[in-house]
Amino acid sequence: MKLKSLLLGTAIAAIGTASFAEDYVIGVMSAQSGYLAPYDGPAYAGFKFCMDEKMANGGLNGTTPVRLIVKDTRSDIAFGVQVVQEMLDDGAQFIVSSADADPTIAAAQITAADMVPTMTFAGTAPVLTQVGPHVFGSYPGDNQQGAVLAAYARDQGFEKAWLLTSPDSAYTLGGPRYFGEVFEANGGEVVGESTFSLNQPDFSAIVTNIQNAETAPDVIVTWAWEPDFPAFIRALRGAGVDTQVMGGDVLDTPTVRGLGEVVDGVVHTSGGFPEEGSDYAAFIKRFEEATGTTPDNNYYVNGCDIADMIEQAVAAAGTTDPAAVSAAMAEIENGKGTMSNFTFKGTDRMPLRDVVVARITGDGEKEFVLRQMADPETLPKP
Amino acid sequence: MDQLLQQLINALSLGGIYAMLALGLAIVFSIVGLINFAHGDIMTFGGYGIFLSMVFGFPPVAALCIGLGAAVVMALAMERTAFRVMRGADVISLLITSFAVSEILKVLFQNGISARPVPISFPASWSGSYQIGGMTIGVAPTASILVTILSLGCLTFVLRRLAIGMAMRAAAEDFDMLRMLGVRANRVVAAAFAISGLLAGVAAVIWTAQRGSVDPMMGFFPVLKAFIATVLGGLGSLGGAVLGGFVIGTLEVLTQAFLPDALAPYRDAIVLSAVIAVLLVRPDGLLPARSGARS
Repeated sequence: MKLKSLLLGTAIAAIGTASFAEDYVIGVMSAQSGYLAPYDGPAYAGFKFCMDEKMANGGLNGTTPVRLIVKDTRSDIAFGVQVVQEMLDDGAQFIVSSADADPTIAAAQITAADMVPTMTFAGTAPVLTQVGPHVFGSYPGDNQQGAVLAAYARDQGFEKAWLLTSPDSAYTLGGPRYFGEVFEANGGEVVGESTFSLNQPDFSAIVTNIQNAETAPDVIVTWAWEPDFPAFIRALRGAGVDTQVMGGDVLDTPTVRGLGEVVDGVVHTSGGFPEEGSDYAAFIKRFEEATGTTPDNNYYVNGCDIADMIEQAVAAAGTTDPAAVSAAMAEIENGKGTMSNFTFKGTDRMPLRDVVVARITGDGEKEFVLRQMADPETLPKP
Repeated sequence: MDQLLQQLINALSLGGIYAMLALGLAIVFSIVGLINFAHGDIMTFGGYGIFLSMVFGFPPVAALCIGLGAAVVMALAMERTAFRVMRGADVISLLITSFAVSEILKVLFQNGISARPVPISFPASWSGSYQIGGMTIGVAPTASILVTILSLGCLTFVLRRLAIGMAMRAAAEDFDMLRMLGVRANRVVAAAFAISGLLAGVAAVIWTAQRGSVDPMMGFFPVLKAFIATVLGGLGSLGGAVLGGFVIGTLEVLTQAFLPDALAPYRDAIVLSAVIAVLLVRPDGLLPARSGARS
C-alpha cells in the first residue's frame, strides 16, 4: 500500500512538474510604491490584461501557456536587483523591468549571463539598451521623441529654445538635449539651459533667470515629470512668462492636464493617441468593460504591446530559449502593436515607433497635433 | 540689480516655508525631545485635505481652511496615537517611531488616494504677477512671504502673551519643573503638536498653491531641508529654526540662480558644505537653545 502511494505521489509530482516546465515563465518587476509606482502600476495592469486575454486563448500564439512571477521592487534599484535574481532562480525566461532606464540597466546586468531578454515597461532613455543585446525598450526613445518635437517646433517657426534639464536621470537630461541637437541641426538655436534636481522644492530662481536672459527664448523644453513639472509651470506662469512650453511623453498624464489654465497650450510628445475607430480605442473599451477602470495614460496600452512583442518574438524564435527569443526580438520588423507598430530590426533595440505630438487644452483635455516616425538616419546618438 | 532683488524675493518665499516647517519641528523637539520626521506627512495630509475639498466642490478659500484644519487634526492624532505612549523614551526610539509613522502614512496615501501626484487647480488669478519698477513679481511668492510673516507674528504673540504659549516656553526650558508646578503635561504637549500641525498646514497651503499638485512624498523633501535648518539654527531653538530656514532657502535660491553651469550639479553639495562649515565654527547652531542638545 505504501509503495502504491509512493508511486502515485511520484507520478502526480512528475506530471505536475512536466506541465509546469512547459510554461513560459515571465518575471515582472512592478514597483508598488515609490517614484516608479505611477508608471509601473498602469503598465503592469495593461500587460496583465492582454496576457490574460492570450491565456484565455491557449497562451502565447495559442500554444504556449505563460506563468507570471510578479514582484514589488519598491522603486529601489538595489532591491530590484535582488528581485530579478529571485525571479531568475524561479525559472524566469523573460524579464519585464520597471519603467525607467536606471532599474532596467541594473536588472540587465543580472540577466546578461544567461541572455535572458529584458524589456523595460516604458523606459525611454536610449542608453538603456547599451548594456547588451538582450536588453530592449518598448516605447519610442527620447531621441525619437526629441527629434519629432524639434522638427515640429521649427515648423511652427520657433527659433530660440531654452532647455530645462536635470542630471539626476537619463530621461530628464537626455530628452531636452536630443531636442536641442535636432533643433539646432534644423536651423534653430539653443539660447540657454537651466538644471534642476528631482523633487526640487522651488523653481522661481530658474524662472527669474529665464526672465532675465540676454536672449529671450520663444520655446522652453523640458522632460521634467511630476511633481517637478507642475511646480515649474506654475512658477513660470505665476511670474508672468507666457513663453511656449514643450515637453516629453511624461506630460501625457491626467495630473498635468488637471492643472488648468497654466498648462493651456503646452505641447508634448506621446506614444499614441486613441483616435476613434483605432485599435487603441478598442483596447480602452475592452479594458474598461473588463476592469471598470479607464486607461487614462499610455502606460496601459504599452503594457499590452509588450505582451504582443513577447508573443511575436517567441513565434519568430520557434522556441522559448532566452537567447533565441532575444535574437528573434531584435529582428522584428513592423510588428503589430495596439498603440502603434514597432520595428526592432536595424535599431539598437529601442523600437522605432510612431511619435504623437499633442497639445493640452485649458479644460483638462488634449488634442491631437500630428503623428510621425522619426527618421532613423538623423536620430541623435545616445 | 533687478534680477538680484527678484531672487531675494524668491529666497524669502522659499525660506519662509522652510522656516515654518523648521519651527514646527523645533517646537515639538524642545518640549518632548522628538525629531518628528512624520512632520512632512502632516504637511502632505494638509495638501490632500485641500485636494479632496476641491474635489467635493468646496471653493478654493474654504479648501485651504480645510487643509489647515486637516493638518492640525493629523498632528493631534499622531501625538495621541503614536507619540504619547512613547513619551519619555530615548531620542532614538522616538526617531524610529516617527519614521514608522511616516512610512505608514505614505503607504496609506498611496493606496488610499493615489501613488501619483494629484492636481490642484487654483484660480488663474492666484498665478498672476505684478510689476514694480523693472521687476515682475509673482502673486504666489508675495502671498507666501506675507503669510509667513503673519504666521510667525501670530506665533510670537501666542508664545509670549498667552498662558499656553508661556507654558510651552517653560516646558522647553524644564518640562519636569513645569509639571511639578501643576501644569498638565498632556495639554502642553498637545498644544505644541497642534501649533506644529498648523505651521505644517500653512506650509502645505503655500506649497500646493505654488506647485499645483500633491503626492505621497510631497512633505518629505521640504521637511528634510527644515530638519537641516533646525540643526543649523540650533536644535531646540525656536528663533534658530526660523533663522536656519531662511538661511537654507536663501542659499538654495542663490546657488540655483548664480552658480556657473559647470557647478550646477553640485548645488546641493555646496549648500550642505556651507552648513557643515557653519556648524564647525558654531557646533550648537547659529542661535543655540539655552538648554539645547548639541547638533
